[in-house]
Amino acid sequence: MNPTATLTDTDFKVADLSLAEFGRKEITLAEHEMPGLMAIRREYADAQPLRGARITGSLHMTIQTAVLIETLTALGAEVRWCSCNIFSTQDHAAAAVAVGPDGSPENPRGVPVYAWKGETLEEYWWCTEQVMRWPESEADPTHPAGPNMILDDGGDATLLVHKGTEYEKAGAVPDPAGAESEELAVILSLLQRSLAEDPQRWTKIGQGIKGVSEETTTGVHRLYQMV
Amino acid sequence: MAVICGFGDVGKGCAESLRGQGARVVITEIDPICALQAAMQGYEIRTLEEVLDSGDIFITTTGNRDIITAEHMERMKHQAIVGNFGHFDNEIDIAGLSHIAGIERVNIKPQVDKWVFPDGHAIILLSEGRLLNLGNATGHPSFVMSSSFSNQTIAQIELFTKNDEYEKKVYVLPKHLDEKVARLHLDALGVKLTRLTDEQAAYIGVPVDGPYKSDHYRY
Repeated sequence: MNPTATLTDTDFKVADLSLAEFGRKEITLAEHEMPGLMAIRREYADAQPLRGARITGSLHMTIQTAVLIETLTALGAEVRWCSCNIFSTQDHAAAAVAVGPDGSPENPRGVPVYAWKGETLEEYWWCTEQVMRWPESEADPTHPAGPNMILDDGGDATLLVHKGTEYEKAGAVPDPAGAESEELAVILSLLQRSLAEDPQRWTKIGQGIKGVSEETTTGVHRLYQMV
Repeated sequence: MAVICGFGDVGKGCAESLRGQGARVVITEIDPICALQAAMQGYEIRTLEEVLDSGDIFITTTGNRDIITAEHMERMKHQAIVGNFGHFDNEIDIAGLSHIAGIERVNIKPQVDKWVFPDGHAIILLSEGRLLNLGNATGHPSFVMSSSFSNQTIAQIELFTKNDEYEKKVYVLPKHLDEKVARLHLDALGVKLTRLTDEQAAYIGVPVDGPYKSDHYRY
């Protein structure tokens, strides 16, 4: 295990870190039931093919996803993670990933996770924004402020980059009051705020992304529509 | 009686699962091929409107929008259970439901709501119409997710390390990598594969070590 992302005190948001031990026990059970992921960890342990990868993941923050996240970090990646559904997070899994295999609830040393079961739509998209934005490094001002890879489920992370870039190009975000759904209104409000804060944020993030892998049929459908 | 809207990959699994629990399963479909598949497996195929007053459970699995409307839900029998197995929450019209004059929402427990219509009858809605297998339960077994997540990991490695070899478009993971992921899961199940002879491989025109199927093959 080689987690490369180090948490600051505030760079994560989960329901309850004290659930981490329960989460870790279930992760250990799941590792035995996930032979494909564990074989990939063994195969690439020396090669570290994801060293230099900064992966933003948007995928149900469950115990099984925890094993995926720790496979990515074991292969050298830096990772930030949110759920792709307001109800799908397992809070003990999120806590265990934030704490990490070598940390403790008092000293979390895992992966920055922004996910809890029962988010509002505003909280959901805020979480997605937090994992798309990478903390700037005082030591290295050239440190990129975004991921270079996205691991998506349903396409929400990819959608945020595309919509953000589109409205930055236009120089304006459509009025949320005219949105056809409550969720779209939330996205537009977020992007309005973002545009005022930094008119190039999503354009820059988009330019830094090498590729996206997508989990589900609906997300693949969205990708074909974008192409 | 359980009504499943859609008999694609998700609907097929949902139907098998509910039938395994002893439910009488009815399918709704728009695609004649999927409808034929369902009929050949012994499912009844009806329109949603035909079964609104007889279904006990209604599940959407279509990936499309506006499948169960507020008007549909109003016509369901008392305490029919309504839920969605598709990725997004636009299959069941929750906004429309909440706009019915005089309707009352009673929360039973997290992710379970009773919606009471003005005439006193009610439906039970799971996860506010969002993906119910993760909202109301804990999702797929680890072993199943291992295959899917192994593909994700291999796709990330491929895209990150061989970025120059890909154009800006949508790719499907090559079959040899799918076969690799499947192989990684066989030992745990005690599977022993049979091996093609050189003559057999030549006869069907595939390498002895795969990939074994053409890209358009449907498993």
